[in-house]
Amino acid sequence: MTKPGQRRTLIVAALAVSAALPFVLTEYEATLASFTGIAAIAALGLVLLTGVSGQTSFGHATFVGLAAYTTAWMSRYGGWSPVAGLPAGLAIAGGTAFLLGLITSRISGHYLPLATIAWCASFFYLFGILPGLGGYNGFGEIPPLFPGISTGTAAALIGVILIAVTILAANLLTSRTGRAMRALAQSRIMAESVGIDTARLARSTFVLAALLAGLAGWLFAHVQRYVSPAPFGLSASIEYVFMVVIGGVSQLGGAIVGAAIVVLLRDQLNDLLPRLLGSSGNFETVAFSLAVIASLQYAPRGIAPAATSLWRSGNRLLNRPPPAKLGLPRDVSWPGLARPSTTTPPPTLERAAAHARSLPVRPKPPRGSLILQTTALEKRFGGLIAARSIDLAVHAGEIVALIGPNGAGKSTTFNLCSGALAPTAGSIRLLDQPIQGQGARAIARRGLARTFQHVKLLPEATVLDNIALGGHLRARAGFVRSMLRLDRTEEAALLQTACFQAGRVGLTDVLNAPAGTLPLGRQRLVEIARGLCLDPSIFLLDEPAAGLRLQEKQALAELLRALRDEGMAILLVEHDMDFVMDLADRIAVMDFGEKIADGPPGQIQDDPVVREAYLGGVA
Amino acid sequence: MAGLATTLLLRQYDTNRAAGAKVWGTDMRMIRVFGTAAVLAGLLTTAASAQIKIGAIISITGPTAALGVGYKSAFATFPAEIGGKSVTYIVRDDAADASQAVTIAQRMIEEDHVDAIIGPTLTSADYAVQPIANAAKVPMIATAPIDYDPVKDPYTFSAVQPVALMIGAVVGDMAKRGVKTVAYIGYSDGFGDQVYDALQASAAKSGIEVVANERYARTDTSAEAQVLKAMTKKPDAVMIGGSGTPGALPDVALHRRGYKGLIYGNHGMVSPAFLRVGGAQVEGTIAVTGPVVVYDQLPDSNQSRAPSVVFMKALIEKVGPDAVSPFAGYSEDAFLLLQAAIPEALKTAQPGTEAFRVALRDSLEKTHDLVGTHGVYSMSPTNHNGMDDRARVLVQAVDGKWKLIQ
Amino acid sequence: MDNAILLALLQDGLTTGAIYLLLAVGLLIAFSVTRAIFIPQGDLVSFAALTLASMIGRHIPGTIWLLDSLCAAALALSLARGRLNAVIPYGLAPAVLTIATLAATRYGAPTAVSAVLSLGIVTALGPLLYRFAYEPLGEASVLALLIVSMALHFVLIGIALYCFGAEGVSTPALTDASFDIGSVTVSGQSLFVGLVCLAMVGALRWFSVRTLYGKALRAAASDRLGARLIGVDHVLSGRTAFALASFAAAVSGLLIAPITPLSYDTGFEIGLKGFVAAVIGGLASYPLAAAGALIVGTIESFSGFWASEYRNIIVFSLLIPVLIWLSLTRGNPEDRA
Repeated sequence: MTKPGQRRTLIVAALAVSAALPFVLTEYEATLASFTGIAAIAALGLVLLTGVSGQTSFGHATFVGLAAYTTAWMSRYGGWSPVAGLPAGLAIAGGTAFLLGLITSRISGHYLPLATIAWCASFFYLFGILPGLGGYNGFGEIPPLFPGISTGTAAALIGVILIAVTILAANLLTSRTGRAMRALAQSRIMAESVGIDTARLARSTFVLAALLAGLAGWLFAHVQRYVSPAPFGLSASIEYVFMVVIGGVSQLGGAIVGAAIVVLLRDQLNDLLPRLLGSSGNFETVAFSLAVIASLQYAPRGIAPAATSLWRSGNRLLNRPPPAKLGLPRDVSWPGLARPSTTTPPPTLERAAAHARSLPVRPKPPRGSLILQTTALEKRFGGLIAARSIDLAVHAGEIVALIGPNGAGKSTTFNLCSGALAPTAGSIRLLDQPIQGQGARAIARRGLARTFQHVKLLPEATVLDNIALGGHLRARAGFVRSMLRLDRTEEAALLQTACFQAGRVGLTDVLNAPAGTLPLGRQRLVEIARGLCLDPSIFLLDEPAAGLRLQEKQALAELLRALRDEGMAILLVEHDMDFVMDLADRIAVMDFGEKIADGPPGQIQDDPVVREAYLGGVA
Repeated sequence: MAGLATTLLLRQYDTNRAAGAKVWGTDMRMIRVFGTAAVLAGLLTTAASAQIKIGAIISITGPTAALGVGYKSAFATFPAEIGGKSVTYIVRDDAADASQAVTIAQRMIEEDHVDAIIGPTLTSADYAVQPIANAAKVPMIATAPIDYDPVKDPYTFSAVQPVALMIGAVVGDMAKRGVKTVAYIGYSDGFGDQVYDALQASAAKSGIEVVANERYARTDTSAEAQVLKAMTKKPDAVMIGGSGTPGALPDVALHRRGYKGLIYGNHGMVSPAFLRVGGAQVEGTIAVTGPVVVYDQLPDSNQSRAPSVVFMKALIEKVGPDAVSPFAGYSEDAFLLLQAAIPEALKTAQPGTEAFRVALRDSLEKTHDLVGTHGVYSMSPTNHNGMDDRARVLVQAVDGKWKLIQ
Repeated sequence: MDNAILLALLQDGLTTGAIYLLLAVGLLIAFSVTRAIFIPQGDLVSFAALTLASMIGRHIPGTIWLLDSLCAAALALSLARGRLNAVIPYGLAPAVLTIATLAATRYGAPTAVSAVLSLGIVTALGPLLYRFAYEPLGEASVLALLIVSMALHFVLIGIALYCFGAEGVSTPALTDASFDIGSVTVSGQSLFVGLVCLAMVGALRWFSVRTLYGKALRAAASDRLGARLIGVDHVLSGRTAFALASFAAAVSGLLIAPITPLSYDTGFEIGLKGFVAAVIGGLASYPLAAAGALIVGTIESFSGFWASEYRNIIVFSLLIPVLIWLSLTRGNPEDRA
């Protein structure tokens, strides 16, 4: 996020540069600029797909090719205007991505990039075989973007389009959808638990990336005015990945920097390296590949972020305040690729939030009514029984603690209730509706929030953003509204709610800190605030007090009591007995996957069965 | 932005054939810092262009690198002077990527102010570069087979036999030997398409039926299945549409499977490397090629004998015996066309000017009976290649050598 | 289609499949120990063939200089850290190999000797590539390692083009013999490929079950953290795995060089198909990967017969259903509750 003024200055400057292109560039330079812009547009899609939502594609060039071939064929053989080729090309690229996405959104983890390699190789041959597309030699005589357009004007147009899509993408990243995309990259289980439809979001992101690739393809066909399968094969796809790795996969600017480096430097090196080495060879490709390896080893976040932090540290040395980032999104991580960030977080929308209306609140069930009930709940993993005949009941305005030795099946029970796991047998009813077998998302929608034993946060996003993620279900803005900034009132309300919940758990002082920089105990508080943002009827807390200091524990207990008094049902797993005994209205004890006791704290403390489970019968 | 497009360091790669010595000159003509001296550099390049500049776009790397190396080798033999003017050759690699060929062509035209372009060596790159060369009025001598209309694109020329001309010779031989059916096994790429199209057109005219169209990829490890499929059609002959060493794959498989019919190859296969790879397993294969490949077997009556012998001797001396390939000959012929046309153009204008390029084009179009290593070129406003039957010979793999049979 | 053709296609498919099998097994070893999908393995297939062909042609293979420079760099780094015993693997061993290679090239050693030297050179490249490209990444994600693999592939084909030129090569066949079994002719080379593959698989099995190195490798593959805790050197096991993978690649290269011309960039697609086979095996199971390799080879052969234009599309599309099945049955390997 940037201050609006800076953002505007930057956009105006970029537009001015684009507008000047036709007057300062030679034809050749304009062609290079055009190809850079086109590559940057396609790479932007890959940043959204890879850097933001954590899915990698080695088949990006396929979508560039689909749109390029569509518009090329229409304008060359169909007699259509190139302008008509844009929607058609986007439709074909987006449609194909949608169909592939239906298949591949089922494919997870590192299987996805492997699948993209497969279809990229397949489509390459398909372009060469499909009748009417000129075979492997392709076809030319494709009309330019507009009749009589000069190379310089085309470069300017591409520049303007690049600026436009960058703005749209930046808008997207600082929105509800953008947060959800980053959650997708971090943990699908966490994302589902706050109500994000991860499969659908993955598919939509995939289509969006393909649309950007399609836009690039449309421009490519009418700038190059010749299409053949070669620029849309596996090597080209890998080159796009290289661009974003070199430039910086985590920032939109990385796409532009990476595209510029690869396209412009290749043009120079192509000439220079063979002369220096006195022999011919693809030295520039070798150089780029070495750069990619070095970049992953030494600057896994890419050149753009590295340069930014260098600039920042330089500024710090000169005792100047660090500049806000230039219209680019907050740092987002690529799990596994990125190492912890040292960059400072940008300011937030707090001011806007102050003026916002608040989000819709769900009607709460009356105090004392039954919220969650499990009957004869059972979970088996193969031959192992993790939970057996669990009967639990949690009422509105009640704190129930689930305790038991390690491996007793507490977290399994949690995961069954929250839909992260499906039970083998038995029933779960939430607000008098059966929910067993429903996914975490559907259960979240019914008003169940949860935290995780192993904290699942977006470590590089701010605390505020992490908390706002919990309000996902209470807002509606999708891709289009987010990109067009039609979501601002809603977004402000969302952030206001997030601020409020941050205040309740005592995180106001660190709203803008990256969540990963907090101590573990406070990270748990972020999870709690995130859960509260969901406006739950029942809150499942998995070891909320672990890692907290005494004062913080007391504050947490205070908060949970307040929530109970508001009528919320709370089920928590906790090992700190003092904390539990002091707080819980009722305690259920588990051992070896079974519930062995259930009752008020005093009764449980005296229960001989419980004492035996904990102390092995010595007492 | 302007500085992005600068030449940092320019080393000229000149060779003086007359002197018989290779001249490597390091010419640090301009070292420019990004974005500072675009205008100055522009002046420098303009001022320096009293000499002739010939650009060459060659796929030295990428999938067709094996052919590109052949194209490039010829440049080691070109003289440093034509018509009393010194000549600079600027050779650049497009990595078999048409987009790169486009930017390279643009750079040659605008920054280097070339007077003519030889290449690109890849059909798709030729198609992509052609509009730019024509718009800038730079004569371009394509060194890969392309279809073009000289009336519409008057600056496009070609030094390569049209595929139909070459395949026509093969089909002629088939007809003479009484072949009725032919199976095609070729690359699943642009070249494979071109040879197939030409075979079909030509075979139809001679009443020969093409009974199979099987394809394999250049990188495949086996063409066994395609060969078996083709053999089920019991064709009298098999035509192979591959190029370079992987072109030997179906040929070898046919021998291994004991195929008894005739095996025909195209002009992309006729090289020493093909025979080295195929060994005894390609014995008897008949192929069409330009005369230059069998330069030492040509009868005295063959027009191309003299230029071929001169060229190949120079090439072998400069590059080595492995350099013998039809592709070097294409570069040579493109050069010969320019060498013949330039003196005429010099009469009207100085190199580096549009007037010179227009004159050069006009002069090229008037080429009449120019004997090259691949054949005889006679051009007209409607024909910018002008090769005829004299541009093709049939050869056969005999005892590990390509032997002229006709 | 008669039986003779059917059997001929099967023979062709199984021969290629055997090559893919070697590569798939190598890929699996490297992946299970290091989590790196060693795509550039395919390029080493070309390296081996080109090295041998170049020695037979009495040219010093450029790969030996590549090996020497990588060794020199590794030696320098090790010495800088005070590890003097690095002199043996990084100094002495490559020196001996270099001298032997130069001598063999100079005096025209028998093909078998040159083949062994080529195997040695290419096998030694594997751990060095691991040392410089993958090791510094530490515990990076599979994705990051995959991108490194892609980059390394481009580096290797660049080097191959520089060292060996663009022209394809083939090496002399070990045998021209062929046997008639019923109506089918089995070529000696196919039989040889099959036998070597069986021997390799057997040797690998012996290595991993019977030797300490092998046991350590298996431990590292099944539980990385656990293996490290009981003292298995993860760096060493990674390098060993890469040595095995590149050895498999080198053997494949020498096996197919007599059958098919190989050039600097053809190895990649061969490697990709071995990779398809490994994925069919779920990137985990050796028997499944072996079956996958033979299936890929056979499907390739039969699709070459029925729809040659669509052959590669068919082979690569095989991956998609397999990957869907894997995701559905295994879930996301990097996100567990």
